[in-house]
Amino acid sequence: MPQHVEISDVHWMVDALQSIEVGLVVVDSDYRVVAWNGFMEHHSGIRSTQAMGRELLSLTPDMPVDWVQRQLEAVSTLKIPVYSTWKQHPYLFRFKSYRPITGKSDFMYQNVTFQPLSAVDGGAPNICITLYDVTAVAVSEQAMKVLNDELAFLSRTDRMTQMFNRGYWEEMATHEFKRCQRYGNVSSLVMFDIDHFKAVNDTYGHQVGDEVIRALSRLVKEMVRDSDLAGRYGGEEFAVVLCDTAAAGAAQFCERARAAIEAMVVEALGETVKFTISLGFSEINSDVGSLETWLKQADAALYYSKENGRNKSTQFDADRIPL
Amino acid sequence: MPVPILICDDSGFARKQLARSLPQNWDVEVNFAANGVEAITAIKDDKADILFLDLNMPVMDGYQVLEAIRSQDLPTLVIVVSGDVQPEARERVIGLGALDFIKKPIDSDKLLEILEQYGILQELDGSSSSAPHIIDAPELELELDINEGYQEVANVAMGQAADLLARLLHVFIELPIPQVHKIACDQLPGRVQEAITAEKVSVVGQGFVGSGVAGEALLFIEEGDLTGLAQLIDHQSEHDAALELDLLMEVANILIGACMAGFAEQLDLKFSMGHPAILGRDIAAMDMPFKACESGERLLTIEIRYGIKDKRINCTLLLVFTGDSIDTLDDLINLLME
Repeated sequence: MPQHVEISDVHWMVDALQSIEVGLVVVDSDYRVVAWNGFMEHHSGIRSTQAMGRELLSLTPDMPVDWVQRQLEAVSTLKIPVYSTWKQHPYLFRFKSYRPITGKSDFMYQNVTFQPLSAVDGGAPNICITLYDVTAVAVSEQAMKVLNDELAFLSRTDRMTQMFNRGYWEEMATHEFKRCQRYGNVSSLVMFDIDHFKAVNDTYGHQVGDEVIRALSRLVKEMVRDSDLAGRYGGEEFAVVLCDTAAAGAAQFCERARAAIEAMVVEALGETVKFTISLGFSEINSDVGSLETWLKQADAALYYSKENGRNKSTQFDADRIPL
Repeated sequence: MPVPILICDDSGFARKQLARSLPQNWDVEVNFAANGVEAITAIKDDKADILFLDLNMPVMDGYQVLEAIRSQDLPTLVIVVSGDVQPEARERVIGLGALDFIKKPIDSDKLLEILEQYGILQELDGSSSSAPHIIDAPELELELDINEGYQEVANVAMGQAADLLARLLHVFIELPIPQVHKIACDQLPGRVQEAITAEKVSVVGQGFVGSGVAGEALLFIEEGDLTGLAQLIDHQSEHDAALELDLLMEVANILIGACMAGFAEQLDLKFSMGHPAILGRDIAAMDMPFKACESGERLLTIEIRYGIKDKRINCTLLLVFTGDSIDTLDDLINLLME
């Protein structure tokens, strides 16, 4: 911009500010409007002549007034520019989106800049407020987030049972193991599988076998708390970390699960199936140096249950059960 | 007889700047110290009737020097010269017995005014025509390390930013010495990892460009610290996620805005600033989305830490300048150091 402006230049400069596709508002030190460009007129329906001299904060009913006031005060006292993104406040003025027919948002998302204009006398400056239309960015970022959340869910979920898949379960179990190590919390790890599952498949067919696994999963998901980690570890093998649960609590959980499965009847494809599970569990202690060891202990206890009649649960005990 | 004065600052750049700003025709013998321990020794050796003292120094900082002077009743008049312009810094040094406080970058007229005000310059009246006699300062002849120049400019800029933040939060901000590194582009993630010790942080980035200089200011705050900040600003125990996001942006606006303004002002640069972007909430600093590096590409980083000690709140501002800005910046810093 030239330093010395001729009257004839003022015309096109004002025209440029008037027609630029960016919202431009200037307020004085009392936060009264002294400039209101075409973008603002068209989107708000408030004519420049109506806006001039009015207090910014009382111009429209949808403005987040307290927040805007804080920004204006920060700019005028600290004399630094203040920026706001649509993520904090979707808009300063509630304007219609530029694509009311094919767009995915009814209103215009805005990034807003509050900028101090240099004051001649060094006093409180006029403040220039610039509004950028970022609806396209906001909508696509939100769509991306939905997509990413979906992908994240798919990548960690076992398709058949909707439980954690093995990879994600191991990741979460590692976190929990480290948390217990760091803070000395006591948690327990339970492993279980379906007794004679091969016979179920051979007798009733795989589709019925799948139904048995689904029924079992539903039941387990109902039994665990939100903080517990339940995953499908292999074909008919499952693992659950009971967070902040000592051996006594784990024994209770196992017994309840065992009894509930024993009592359950699965009806699928005209067949009626009853089945049982065997369980093993291990409470974390200082000897458990890694998640692998913890898993081995629970697995050894599970093996012990299998060897000793099935349909039962066993706590790992280093003196009794070989790893 | 020339009056022995001592300039104590860890930055050779700042020592040189102050020595140059001393009034002409002032009959003094100028001595230098690079930290508080050296200063105390110099005072005891009668080399410091007047002491110009920086606050922010390694080994022994300015506050500790003031305490030592008071407790040992050492004979010296102290004028504090610091980039830390928070009101509390000034109050603290005056409380510890300093005569006055001059902010950096030092303004020679202001210095003259203060010296006159305390009658220190009376010896000047009359016919004395000897210029300041600088001794014991081989470094003034040597080429200074350019990093010291960057450090000092950053020091002043961060002091101005801390002042604004202190006024917003009504706390005292601790300011360690800024770290300057010229690195290969692919070392940036390592640099960030070294600078950010917190496991999970929120990051705001804001780009700047102008006068042949470009880069991004990155602000890292630990998520838990954000909660602490929210309590400071709001004085309520109840607060929600929306407030924390507002606060993250508010702190970013102040620290980045004031720091970049201070930086630009000292080097006489003009920047356009992009809109700040939230680069991550509660992420590991090393998981930042850095761009791919071109071969041989270099970067300049300036790392500034802000701490609120009694609240255990820390945040780090990392200014990263692109490789093609470095020559321009070096020239400007050299100009200041001449």
